[in-house]
Amino acid sequence: MSKPERAWDPGNPDRLYIVTKSCGQADPGVTRLDLVTLIVARTETDPGLQPEHETIVRMCDYPLSVAEISAYLTLPVSTVTVLLNDLLARGHVEARPPVPVAALPDVGLLEAVMHGLQNL
Amino acid sequence: MVGTGSSPHVRRPASSLIWLVPPVVLAVCTASAGLLAPGEARVPVVWCGAAASVAVALASAVAARRGRVIHALRRRCDEREAELRGLLERQEAETRRLADLLLPAAFKMLQQGASADEVLGHVAPSPHAGTPFAAEHRSVLRSVVYAVQAEEGLRDSAHRAFVNIARRLQAIIHQQATDLREMEDRHGNNPEVFSDLLHLDHGTALIGRLADSIAVLGGSRPGRQWKNPVPLYNVLRGAMSRIMDYRRVDLHSVADVAITGPGVEPVIHAAAELLDNATRYSPPETRVHLTAVEIQSGVAIEIEDAGVGLTDETRRRTERVLELAERGLDLNDLGETPRLGLAVVSRLARNYRFRVSLRPSAYGGVRAVLIVPSELVTASATPGGEIARAATLPPPKVRKKPGRPLPDPPQMEHSAADGHTPGGLPQRRRRALGLAARAAAVAPADPPRRTEPAAQPTQPGIWLAAFTNALKGDAPVGDRGALSDDPSDEKE
Repeated sequence: MSKPERAWDPGNPDRLYIVTKSCGQADPGVTRLDLVTLIVARTETDPGLQPEHETIVRMCDYPLSVAEISAYLTLPVSTVTVLLNDLLARGHVEARPPVPVAALPDVGLLEAVMHGLQNL
Repeated sequence: MVGTGSSPHVRRPASSLIWLVPPVVLAVCTASAGLLAPGEARVPVVWCGAAASVAVALASAVAARRGRVIHALRRRCDEREAELRGLLERQEAETRRLADLLLPAAFKMLQQGASADEVLGHVAPSPHAGTPFAAEHRSVLRSVVYAVQAEEGLRDSAHRAFVNIARRLQAIIHQQATDLREMEDRHGNNPEVFSDLLHLDHGTALIGRLADSIAVLGGSRPGRQWKNPVPLYNVLRGAMSRIMDYRRVDLHSVADVAITGPGVEPVIHAAAELLDNATRYSPPETRVHLTAVEIQSGVAIEIEDAGVGLTDETRRRTERVLELAERGLDLNDLGETPRLGLAVVSRLARNYRFRVSLRPSAYGGVRAVLIVPSELVTASATPGGEIARAATLPPPKVRKKPGRPLPDPPQMEHSAADGHTPGGLPQRRRRALGLAARAAAVAPADPPRRTEPAAQPTQPGIWLAAFTNALKGDAPVGDRGALSDDPSDEKE
C-alpha cells in the first residue's frame, strides 16, 4: 500500500498484542536487545513463520539494526524486540552487539600516534 | 290462530278430503245400522249414530286443522334454521379471514413501518360491510392494530436507545484505542510501560466488542466502517484481538483474499464471537484452531475447539437461539439467552448473508464454520497480511567485498530525488538501478532466495562479523566454518 500514514493505524484491525502474542512481557534471561544491536538472518524464511517474523528474516539478509527494522516495519521498538527475541530463541536470526566504544582506542591516543607519525 | 300464508291453501283440498273420511264412514255405518236395527230401536240408533257422526266430524275437522298449523310451523322453523345457519357460516368465514388474512397482513405492514391508520385504510373491506357483525370485526381489528403499533413503538425506542448508547460507547472506545496506539508508539522504547499499554489496549478491545454486540442486537451495524478492503489474515487477527484468551488461538493457513470494506467489521465481530465461545467453552489448556479456506461460494472460516462439545440439549438451545435471532430477536429474550454471542452471530448472519453452522469436531469439541459470501470477498492487495508484507522493505544491498572500490555512483541524483535517502548512504545507490529492478527484488522476495541454497555455508553478513571481530580483536566464535575461507572469495 502506498499510503503515507502508518499501514496499520487507519486501515488495519490488528492490535500490537496480537502481533507479539505476549502482551510485550519479555522473558527474563533473553538477550537484551539494544536499538543499535545488529540483526542478521541465519536461515531462510520458512512457511511456518508469522508474516512479521518472515519479513524480519527476509529483510535481515544483511545486518540491520533493531531501530532500522522497527522503522521499516512501522512497529514500535518493543514489539520488534519481542519478535526478535522469538526469532533468536528459534535460531532464525543472530544478534550482533554493536562495537563497544570502550574497545576502540580513544581519540587522544589516536591523535598522539598521528602526531608521532607526522613528526617522523 | 293459524298463520294464513299462501302455502297452506294449496294443500287444503287433499287434507279436506282426508278429514271427511271418518265422519262419512261413521254416517254410512249409522245408516246401515238403522236399516238393520229392529223398528223400536231404529230411532235411538239413528239419533246416536247421527250425534256420533257429527262429533267425529267435528273432531276430525279440528285435528286436520291443527295438523295443517303444525305443518306450517315446522316449515317456517326449518326456513329460519337454514337462514341462521347461513349467517353463522358467513360469520365464521369472516372471522377466519380476519385471523388468517387481515391480521397477518396488518402486522406485516406495521413491522414495515406503516402507521396504524394507513394499515386500517389498506386492509380489504369485509364483503359483508354494513352489517353490525362486520362493524364489530372492524373494531376488533382496529384495537389490535393500535395495540401492536404501541408495542412496536416501544420496542423500536428501546432498540434506538440501545443503539444510541452503543454508539456513544463505541466512539469513546475508538478514541481511547487511538490514544493507546499513539502512546504505544511514544513509549515503544520502554518495555514496562509498553507492556502495560498493551494490556490496556486489550481491555479496551474487549469493551469495544461488547459495545458492538449491543449495537448489533439493537439492529444496527457493528462498530466502525472500513473504507478499503482488509486482508483476511488481518481480519482474523482483528477477531483474535477482541477475545479474552487470544493466546490460545492458533491461526493456521489463511486464504490469500481480502474482505471488502463494508464486510470487515461484521466478519471480525462474528468471528470474534465464535472464537470467544470456542475459548470459553473449552478447557483452558487446550488450543483453538482457526483456519480460513476459499470455497466456491466465498470464504469459509473454521473455528475448532477441543471442548465439551454439543450435547443434544445444548444443540437444541443453540438452534433455538439461532432461530430466534433469525426472526429478529426480542430484547426481552436476552435475559434467558445463555449465549449472547450466538444471538449476535446469527443477527449478523441474517444481515450480511453469512452462513453459520456448529457441528461436532474431530477433537471432540465444536467446529464452527462461518461462510462469508463471495460478494464480500475480493482479491488481496497485500497477500499474507498488512503489517508485515506491506512494510517498507529496505532496498537490496550491494554486498561488496571489503576493500573493493564502491560501484561508481552515476545515479546519485535519482537517489536524492527519491527522498527516502537521508544522504548518500552507500546501500541506497543500488536503488537507482530502476523501479523495475527494485520491484522485482521486493515484491516476489522469495524466488531469488530459493536459488540460493547452494550458497548456504557463506551466510550473508558473515564478512561483516569477521570485520567486527577483527576490529574487536576477538577470536572467531560460533559456526565459523565459512570464515576459515578467505572472506574475499565470498560470492557477490
